[in-house]
Amino acid sequence: MFTIFKNTLQRNLWQLLGWGLTLSLVTLSLTLLYKPMVAQQSQLNSLMQAYGSNFMAFFGGTLDVLSPGGYLDFGYFSYIPIIAGIFSLLVGSGLILVDEERGTLDLVLAHPVSRTALFWGRFLAFTCVTAGILFISWLGFLAGLSGTGWDVSAFALLLPHLDLFVILMLFGSLALFLSMALPSRTLAASLTGGLLVASYFVTSLARVSDKLASLNNFSPLNYYEGGRALDNLNWEHLLALLGFALAFALLAWLLFERRDVRVSGTGGWKMPAWMTMNWWLSAARKQK
Amino acid sequence: MSDFAIQTQSLTKNYGSVHALRGVDLEVRRGEIFGFLGPNGSGKTTTIRCLLVLIRPNAGTSRVLGLDPQKQSRQVRARSGYLPGELRLEDGMTVEATLRYLNALRGGKSDWGYVRKLAERLALDLKIQCRNLSKGNKQKVGVLQALMHKPELLLLDEPTSGLDPLIQQEVLHLIQEAKRDGTTVFFSSHIISEVEQVAERVGIIRQGMVVEVAGTQELMKRALRRARVRFQKPQPDPGLEHLAGVKVLGTDGMTVHLQIEGEMDALIKELAKFPVADFETERPSLEEIFLAYYEK
Repeated sequence: MFTIFKNTLQRNLWQLLGWGLTLSLVTLSLTLLYKPMVAQQSQLNSLMQAYGSNFMAFFGGTLDVLSPGGYLDFGYFSYIPIIAGIFSLLVGSGLILVDEERGTLDLVLAHPVSRTALFWGRFLAFTCVTAGILFISWLGFLAGLSGTGWDVSAFALLLPHLDLFVILMLFGSLALFLSMALPSRTLAASLTGGLLVASYFVTSLARVSDKLASLNNFSPLNYYEGGRALDNLNWEHLLALLGFALAFALLAWLLFERRDVRVSGTGGWKMPAWMTMNWWLSAARKQK
Repeated sequence: MSDFAIQTQSLTKNYGSVHALRGVDLEVRRGEIFGFLGPNGSGKTTTIRCLLVLIRPNAGTSRVLGLDPQKQSRQVRARSGYLPGELRLEDGMTVEATLRYLNALRGGKSDWGYVRKLAERLALDLKIQCRNLSKGNKQKVGVLQALMHKPELLLLDEPTSGLDPLIQQEVLHLIQEAKRDGTTVFFSSHIISEVEQVAERVGIIRQGMVVEVAGTQELMKRALRRARVRFQKPQPDPGLEHLAGVKVLGTDGMTVHLQIEGEMDALIKELAKFPVADFETERPSLEEIFLAYYEK
């Protein structure tokens, strides 16, 4: 399992550095921008009023953007699940299936490696890479923290990252589960992406429309605290989200244990011909 | 200890309505080279992948090296070397890194000196990136990784595919050397000449069923032969068609073309009654035998 873990870490090293450094630049610049924003508090307040609650609903819903929690939520944690979620669902859906679709899984599984060791070795590496990205992002915040004048500890800053980590693991595990249940990685990633975006919209719009309250109960992002976790992390929600993430991972593992390993290119779902660009291009050529 | 390295009984595998294996019965003896012949889609790869539990059969049983692959798949794989029919390698690694990774998956059993020796024999550069390998060089990596830990059983799916003739011969030599070291070799192929060259026994699979298993030589002896007899003067009716196993394919002046099944003794004795100028027989290639099975 260690060999698989190490190999998966190596494969994702550039992702770890790329995502981590990019996010840390965002977090660092966010902290550096805090003081200038406070200096322009009156203009900012009128700007927030002008945008109104409908706009702010998509950035955590808070109008108190100059409190540490509100600022972090508005500037980073409210929308970052969508952006970092792309990493999460792409890596999650490809954790096993990318090798199967490339045709390299056959060779690995012909070695004395149990499917369980392969699965959990990779899942553990995925967990570590996700945690690593968020750790680098946290370092960005820490680097600029002294300039904000906030009375916020490094541990307190870790809490929204922990919340974000769990939400990323949830969507990563969901993508992994769907990749085992559906016959193509693209389909699993697309479906997870659709659910992530739907969850973001439902939770955001539920802040301004009571009609979505019942639907919002099923939205994972409803249980994500974001920047608000700085002051008040809801551990019950966190553990519930973590429980679902583990449940999806367990289901994916069970499916992987039982399924046939496909030779690359077999058994996948293909898009109907009319849905491809080539079909339309050739149809256009025929018309001419 | 079982005498057989591989035993399957009624091994069946369906993909929806496609019957890939329709009850494969096979016995491969320990220490032999067994050629598994069949055209594309006949079930060769599916059989091998069932033995390694890469896919699970719908019915039937199998034993590999005396173990049940369904229950002891890790042990089976620890003692086997496998070359997939469609080998793909991780593009971002060098050949050496790939081999070291695969070796680590086996607990680092391989002797690296032996790996280098094999690479040298196969003219394979270990420093090259896998993404830059040609199909033939990728195949060399596949052969090398299957052999490097000196397994008890080699499962090779089309081992010479994509290789140039010189390296093909080297691979066949490696297979023969592995056999001399006690390894059982089960290899699938549709290149009959290579099976004929190295295999002691041959299994022919057709539409998911094994239709023949026999010694390579025995299979060739048992098969139809063609003969051409040229008489010194025209023989209107030499009466050869009445002989058991003999069929007259055609007559061309003083020459008669025959097809003979089984022993030649009766024919030779009958021909001795006539003045014969020339007599030629054609030994059938395994290819012809193979094709005969597919024409049935």
